[in-house]
Amino acid sequence: MVYEFRYLAPRTATELATVLDDIKADGRILAGGTDLIPNIRNGVFKPRIVVDVKKFQGADRMAFGSEGLSMGPAVTINDVLRSKDARERYPSLCACAHELASHQVRNRATVAGNVVNASPCSDMAPALLCLGARAVIRSATGERVVPFANFFAGVKKTVLVPGEFLATIIIPAESAGAAGRYLKLKRIAGHDLGIVGVLMTRKDGELRFGVSSAAPTPVLVDTVGAKDDPDEAARKVLASVSPISDVRGTKEYREHMIGVYVRRLLSEVE
Amino acid sequence: MRIKLTVNGLAYERECAEHVTLLRFLREGLGLTGTKEGCGMGECGACTVILNGRAVNSCMVLAVEADGAVISTIEGEAQGPSLSDIQKAFEKHHAVQCGFCTPGMVMSVKELLADNGKPGVDEVKEAIEGNFCRCTGYVQIVEAVMDLTGRPGGKGELEHV
Amino acid sequence: MFDDIKTADMTYVGKKAGRPDMVEKLTGEAVFVSDMELPGMLHAQLKKSPHARARIKRIDASKAAAMPGVRAVVTGEELDYHIGLYIVDKFILAKGEVRHYGEAVAAVAAETLEQARAAVEAIEVEYEPLPPVLHHMDALKPDAPLVHPELGTYSYIEAVFTPKPGTNIANHTKLRKGDVDKGFEASEYIVEREYSCPSVQHVPMETHVAIVQWARGDRVSIWTSAQSPFTVRNLFCHAFGLPHINVRVQIPYVGGGFGGKAGIGIEPLCAVLSRKAGGKPVKFQASREEEFSLLPCRSALTYRIKTGVSADGRIQAQHMTMYWDSGAYADYAVNVTRASGFSASGPYEIPNAWVDAYTIYTNKPYGTAYRGFGHVEFHWAVERHMELIAQAIGMDPLEFRLRNALRPGSKTMTGETILPSTGNVVKCIEEAARMIGYGSLSADELRRQEKTGWKIGKGVAALQKAPAMPSFTATAVVLKMNEDGSVLVNLALTDYGQGTYASIRQIVAERLGFPIEKVKVAFENDTDRDPYDWQTVASKGLLLSGNAAILAAEDMLRNAYAVAAEALRANPRDLGHDGDRVFVKHHPASSVAFSAMAVGLAMPNGNGIGGPIIGVGRYIAQGLSNLDKNTGEGSPAIDWTYGAHGMIVEVNEATGEYRVLKVASVYDVGRAINPDIVRGQAIGGMIQGLGTAVCEGYIYDQQGRLLNPSFTDNKIPTAKDLPMEIECAVVETPQIDGPYGARGVGEHSMISVAPALGNAIQKATGAEIMHMPMRFEDVWRALTKKEPIDNWITKSPIGSCRSAPEARNRG
Repeated sequence: MVYEFRYLAPRTATELATVLDDIKADGRILAGGTDLIPNIRNGVFKPRIVVDVKKFQGADRMAFGSEGLSMGPAVTINDVLRSKDARERYPSLCACAHELASHQVRNRATVAGNVVNASPCSDMAPALLCLGARAVIRSATGERVVPFANFFAGVKKTVLVPGEFLATIIIPAESAGAAGRYLKLKRIAGHDLGIVGVLMTRKDGELRFGVSSAAPTPVLVDTVGAKDDPDEAARKVLASVSPISDVRGTKEYREHMIGVYVRRLLSEVE
Repeated sequence: MRIKLTVNGLAYERECAEHVTLLRFLREGLGLTGTKEGCGMGECGACTVILNGRAVNSCMVLAVEADGAVISTIEGEAQGPSLSDIQKAFEKHHAVQCGFCTPGMVMSVKELLADNGKPGVDEVKEAIEGNFCRCTGYVQIVEAVMDLTGRPGGKGELEHV
Repeated sequence: MFDDIKTADMTYVGKKAGRPDMVEKLTGEAVFVSDMELPGMLHAQLKKSPHARARIKRIDASKAAAMPGVRAVVTGEELDYHIGLYIVDKFILAKGEVRHYGEAVAAVAAETLEQARAAVEAIEVEYEPLPPVLHHMDALKPDAPLVHPELGTYSYIEAVFTPKPGTNIANHTKLRKGDVDKGFEASEYIVEREYSCPSVQHVPMETHVAIVQWARGDRVSIWTSAQSPFTVRNLFCHAFGLPHINVRVQIPYVGGGFGGKAGIGIEPLCAVLSRKAGGKPVKFQASREEEFSLLPCRSALTYRIKTGVSADGRIQAQHMTMYWDSGAYADYAVNVTRASGFSASGPYEIPNAWVDAYTIYTNKPYGTAYRGFGHVEFHWAVERHMELIAQAIGMDPLEFRLRNALRPGSKTMTGETILPSTGNVVKCIEEAARMIGYGSLSADELRRQEKTGWKIGKGVAALQKAPAMPSFTATAVVLKMNEDGSVLVNLALTDYGQGTYASIRQIVAERLGFPIEKVKVAFENDTDRDPYDWQTVASKGLLLSGNAAILAAEDMLRNAYAVAAEALRANPRDLGHDGDRVFVKHHPASSVAFSAMAVGLAMPNGNGIGGPIIGVGRYIAQGLSNLDKNTGEGSPAIDWTYGAHGMIVEVNEATGEYRVLKVASVYDVGRAINPDIVRGQAIGGMIQGLGTAVCEGYIYDQQGRLLNPSFTDNKIPTAKDLPMEIECAVVETPQIDGPYGARGVGEHSMISVAPALGNAIQKATGAEIMHMPMRFEDVWRALTKKEPIDNWITKSPIGSCRSAPEARNRG
């Protein structure tokens, strides 16, 4: 990497909020670095300051409490996969986590970073959407809580404004135990961005679909009823997405595969 | 920024520019050129090192992030003058061709075996999925690991017909 | 160099033997050029064109030149050197006009990478974009812009190539055998189809990298990640008009090449920077993105084949037209065209053949050699075509192949006669078919099909390739005995991973009768110290250098025997030797150790005899000739390696998704000198072939910008992409002039993997795919009879798989 910048690693959340408030648009937040560092290498971002959110006290905290599962911004994808509690209570979260990139990347990439990037092909977003997760957003002026259903604002855009950071992700306790499966269509069997990805969760008769790589943002579809037949379910999901044609596949194929996946998930997820 | 870290059991303290990746720091700062750069984007795994027990792409880690860390690279793998068990298995099974992916590949296998002494074939493939090898087609690498751990799947021979 | 000795009776040849480069590579101690840093070394970065075709109106590098740490800035305007392997058509930096996206227009050398990058960003370039010609079929149109209007002024190798000035045709290779019209007249069926494949990248894990120091007195030292040190030196000297004695090329360990590092690359650019920086060494390492667009790729191909077949399934005539996309420069693509032209039918006998093979300039990154040298691409067409002909005439594809396969007595398209020792393609096809249980599904496969709902199909594809090289290709090997009687092997054939040095070591140890531990093959090649080798390409390395190694070992023994004969006062004819000493056969106690003779033997009274013992082996290809430029007649092939793949695939008909269940590959290698290395080549190449079959390919927009110049959208196979089962076998029909009967197999494993897959998919589902790669979407489109997508140049009006079947029954 040949673009120069300064690096700051605040040791408390308060200090972090203050630093971010000071630098505002001049800086970039560094979590796992698996997107930011390649982006700086490629000259996509040329920040003057990079602020590490992994080093403050509690940043790597992953806790199961009465509220549910809460994760700090340094919790990696593999932290989730290695947690027996996460695997047992939130299998859909783990299903999505397992499809994200390669093992080395999962050792470094964070859940928070994956959603803050707001890539349309985010693998963690479908899980957070379907599980009703909330983002606890902090800044020097305070804290606000945004459900992930309202978190994504456009291609690679979230509701975060300069000075704010995603402090905690909370997956509510009531989502625990939801059955789910994530189908991700890729060009190869190995690590790849999705052509499309569809997560379906089922809990207490309620169905939810989280769709990636099919719209400007990851999409939650919660309008499918338990009694809808598969074709109706597929129609509803397709009505909520707007896939495009690009180097990974055409709009036509993406729509076809989303339909196939919805039908497949309905028959497979008990 | 001044950083301190332990690499292959040796303590280092160095002044390091803040934008420099761990990969570049290891290669240029410490002269440990065994770790390679294949893409600079975290896709190919040639730069894999073990950072606090976890295999990571060192091209996507800043050296300053690794302040205080314990790191293993390929240069620390051999035990004195003799190769480690992983290295011996790779040697026996011709799991190396051009050798450019080899250091990263060995590091990924090392992390796998530290967690899981008896991985299945699919677990081995998943552990090295992030390490591109354009020469071997991976088969002899997987066979080397399976043979090393005493599981089936470690034998493959050229047939004569 | 074949002696009829059974493998069982040999010590090393055909046996397990380790690679000599393992410890260095496994410990990270092996030094690649990318690891090297020389005192005072500068770092280079490049300014590259964002346009596929544009006139350079102005370059202002004055700001860059004044920036901190900058020691040299060069632009195309100030350089006047032409570079080219076969057609000398390339500048070091674009001059006047840029011809492809990513082409370098200016370069900077600075103290640090950061400074070089900052300076490059400060260079101002004003372009006048011109309409590019992107698709090679468009480039043939009469009104197409000319990529090289000055083609008629370029120098080229006239005995071999035929450029067409005033067009975009860089070369036209012709082959005419028999009477094609008559052959079609005699045919019961005529099948004509068109096949294509896009450009792909080699993806060596080490990108191109070089360090060059242009020192005082025009003495140039080059350290480079390249395949062929003498070719780099020769082309470099020609480009700069330097005496060969002034230029030294050194090649340490190389992180893969696959043909992409066969010729000359970034060395001249580093050289001009070093010269301008007052002789400081300059290093340039291509980024992965530059590897995709600055450096060469594999040519795209459109291949139209028209075949006439008799009622009993024998090919009577074949008309073949190949359109090769050279990209902006001819490089190796013209020779790919030539070599593919004479091999264009695959391993089948074509009594009446007509081949036109064109190399076509376009405004895209340029094509070069890539493992298989055209054969991967055109076998895709030939072996899909064989399948489709068989289907059209109602014959089993395997039977159709076997009926037309080359056999002893067959004549190739260039008029060579196939001999029993040429190799056995029939056996390769039959064994590959047997290994996959061709023709039916097993009980297990039927159960699996039932359970998954995915359709299982089996396909076979055959292959052939001969080295594409000058008829007089030569090499040499030098053996030097060390003081302790051990032996050092020097050669300039490089081992960039393929394992040739392990085999050379076995051959030398076998022929010397020495323990293999006493033989070392020196890595790190050096034109100042190693004997000449043409190039490390073409699967010719083991054959030519293996023969030279045998000759060198014999020369070394002859020289040692001469000293021993004098020392022991015996006739050399009566001497024998073991790994340590030469002895008198009838008085074994009368002996002299190799170690005593190695650097000159001291007699008991102090007199010296002999001198350092060396052995020299020189080998030049035998019996080859140029091809007639009008008929293609001649002897181009030192050896033909035949092979076949069998593939089992399961396909989801609703989605086009598929999984490869098994690949079985069989090659007639003559003799497998090192079975593990043969297997490594077989599997490695097969997986590389599978990558290009499944997903790899360059995608451009309509302005000619490469849309996928990185691993993000140009995927290669990972460990998870392995077929569930892989089996490799060899047939051993000895090559009479091969070392211990061996012939080359380095490239062959990549050939015909794609058609085997395409044939298996078709067998499973009926999907007819004419364009590779076969992405899931392509399979789905073929299954649902939707218009194929051609996103290789997105929204290009040229369809990728639109050729209409023209099978017709004339009876």
